[in-house]
Amino acid sequence: MKKRIVTQMTVISFIVGLMIAVQYNTVQNPTTRDTRDIWAIRQELSEEKENHSKLLSEIATYNEFIEQYKDDDTQSQAALLNKTVDDLKREIGLLPVNGPGLVLDISPAMELVQFGYEIEPIAPDLLIRLVNEIYRYNGLYIEIAGQRLTHRSAIRDINGATTVNGVAIDETDINIKIITETFEKAEKLYGYLYASTFRDDFYLDNLNLRINGAQKNIKIAEVDGPLSTDYLVENNEGD
Amino acid sequence: MWLPLLGLILGLSLGVLTDIQIPAIYENYLSIAVLAALDTLFGGIRANLQQVYDDKVFVSGFFFNIALAAGLAFLGVHLGVDLYLAAIFAFGVRLFQNIAVIRRILISKWEERHIKKDENTV
Repeated sequence: MKKRIVTQMTVISFIVGLMIAVQYNTVQNPTTRDTRDIWAIRQELSEEKENHSKLLSEIATYNEFIEQYKDDDTQSQAALLNKTVDDLKREIGLLPVNGPGLVLDISPAMELVQFGYEIEPIAPDLLIRLVNEIYRYNGLYIEIAGQRLTHRSAIRDINGATTVNGVAIDETDINIKIITETFEKAEKLYGYLYASTFRDDFYLDNLNLRINGAQKNIKIAEVDGPLSTDYLVENNEGD
Repeated sequence: MWLPLLGLILGLSLGVLTDIQIPAIYENYLSIAVLAALDTLFGGIRANLQQVYDDKVFVSGFFFNIALAAGLAFLGVHLGVDLYLAAIFAFGVRLFQNIAVIRRILISKWEERHIKKDENTV
């Protein structure tokens, strides 16, 4: 009889313990609710969709390459390889590039010059911010005052002078050439820059920023001088 | 005697370790059910100490009290009256009473044992 009571008590206490633990869990870690509304979710979905289509088009491009490599004879394979090499050279800045894009003109604000303000060359911080924004809005290649920007380019202050690729920009009249993938993207970039606060920011430095409309064909020259690749090492692991 | 305590600890650790959670809307019901279960458990201990323990009453009381408490809370939610307060009050008062009775019985038992010991030594 006594044993039965103890068994029952044990079972009931086990259930009570379990209930208390579950209640404790529930009170301690409330399940986080998804508070996004339908528009936030749509926004995220559209971003993912964009990624998706980008990846798909990349896959299509590479598939095309593979097909070409497979089908063609040796000579055109060599031509294809050369073309790929040229494309890569163009991308890193060893060859000049053509394409749709736009040109920005930076000049001293005339009315301030007349009043005798001292106009200083563009500040590196402002230039870096402009370049970052251009890249963010699909700018592919940029040239600042004749200096092509590459992956090794640095915009910085050296002894009080703003330099790009180590070359000082002394003048206050410079132009910035930008090439984008398509004409539509160039128009979009124009719209974005036109609506941005950059013109005000440049005016604070006594400079005028004129944003010219998108053009069909802009030429950007190759990098001046050799592109040093001291830190790049050849990967000998063939497949 | 220690087996029920072991069961309680086992249940607690199992619940905590498995990290089971219930939806937030059922939280109130579970809290009342826990209270009802505790009340029944202490009622059972008291009845056992008073030698009036009946297993049918105990087991049926456990499940019936839980169901009744949760049902009251459910009804209260749908009627717009906080009926779960009635359940909390009833079970809370009974819990205190049961624990008080258990305490008294344990103290009197302890005293009896003490007196017997004294008599033996004398």
